Amino acid sequence: MSCDKFEPLIALYIENDLAQAEAQAVESHLAVCDACRKFGAEMRVSQEALKVLRTEFVDDAVLLQVRTEVLSAASHRQRVVAWPRYAIAAGLMVALLAGWMWQMRPRARLELRPIAASVSAPPLAATVPVPQQRTRLARVRRHRPQAAPVFKSEPLVVKMITDDPQVVIYWLVDQNGG
Amino acid sequence: MLMVSDCADAQEPEFAHLVRQAKAGDAAAFEAILCQFERRVLLTAMRLLNGNLEDAKDAAQQVFLRLHRSLHQLDANRQLASWLYRITVNVCRDMLRVRARRPVVPLEEAGHYAMAGGTEDAMRRDEQMLLIYAALATLPQRERAAIVLRDIEGISTSEVARILGSSEVTVRSQISNGRVKIRKFIDRQQRRRL
Repeated sequence: MSCDKFEPLIALYIENDLAQAEAQAVESHLAVCDACRKFGAEMRVSQEALKVLRTEFVDDAVLLQVRTEVLSAASHRQRVVAWPRYAIAAGLMVALLAGWMWQMRPRARLELRPIAASVSAPPLAATVPVPQQRTRLARVRRHRPQAAPVFKSEPLVVKMITDDPQVVIYWLVDQNGG
Repeated sequence: MLMVSDCADAQEPEFAHLVRQAKAGDAAAFEAILCQFERRVLLTAMRLLNGNLEDAKDAAQQVFLRLHRSLHQLDANRQLASWLYRITVNVCRDMLRVRARRPVVPLEEAGHYAMAGGTEDAMRRDEQMLLIYAALATLPQRERAAIVLRDIEGISTSEVARILGSSEVTVRSQISNGRVKIRKFIDRQQRRRL
C-alpha cells in the first residue's frame, strides 16, 4: 500500500478511530516510513490546535440573552397554541347548551283548522254574484287572524261582508264542522 | 410573567425526568433543560456557522424553540443531547443555505468570541482560534459537522453517524478528509507567515 493510501488512515489513527487490525497495519507502516511518521506528527499538532476550540469562552450574558428570548417566545407560543383549544371548548359548550334548550322547549299542542274549508259555504251563492263572491271570500280569508287556534269548546264565527253595507252575514260553525 | 432563574447542574439520568415534566407543561423543567444545553448548542452552532456569534444565537434560539414544539413527541428516555445536536446541525445547515445568498462577513469582523486580550498567551490563543475557525470554514458543510462533533465536542464516530443520519463508514471518511484538510490549511498559513 502506498503512502497516499495511508494518509487517511493515519488521520484516523492519531485519534484512535481505527479498528484494531487497521491500527496494526498503520503502526507497521509508520515503523518503516519516515514521511508518514512526519505526516502523523504534523497531524497531531493540527489536532491539538483544533482542540483549542474546546476551551472557547462564551459570556454568561450571551447565554442569558438566548435563554430569555427562548422562554419568552415559548410562553407566547403556549398562549397562541392554547387559544384555539379554548375556542373549541367554548363552541362545544354552546352547542351542548343549544341542544339541551331544544330538548326542553315548550311544546304547545294546538290544533289549527283550515279556515278555507270552513268558508266554502254555499249560502252566499244565492245572494251574491259569483265573481264578487270570490273577491269577498278572498277578503274574508285575509281578514281572519292568522293561524288562530280553534278550541274545541267554542264555535267558529265567520263574518261575511256583502256589497250592501246594511247586509252582514254571520256564519257559525260548530266543532263537528257543521 | 417571564422569569429567568439561575441554572443548576443536572445529571444525565435527570434529563428523562426533566423532559417528562416539561412535556407536562412545567416551564421550570424546560428552563432547566435549556440551562444544561445552551452553552453546548450555542458553541456548536458558532463552529458550524464559521464563528458568527449573532447567527449562532439565532440558531440556538431556533433549536430550543423546536425542542419546545417537539416536546410532546420526544421520547424522554432517548438521548436528548443527540437530538439537540442533530437539530443544531440541521438549523445551521439551513442558515448557511440562506447565508450563501447573502454577502459573507469576514471572520475578523464577526466578533464572535470575547477576545481575552492582555497577556501574550491569551492573544496567541485567540489567534489560534481564528486560524481554526478559518480552517473549518474551508471544509464542506458535512465534513465540518463531522469534525466539530467528533474532534471538538468529543462524540464517538458511531454517535456522530447517528446524529448526521449517515453511515459510520461515510462519517469516518468525512472526519479523515476534514482532518487532513485542516492540517494542510494550517500548514499553508504558517508557511505564509514565515
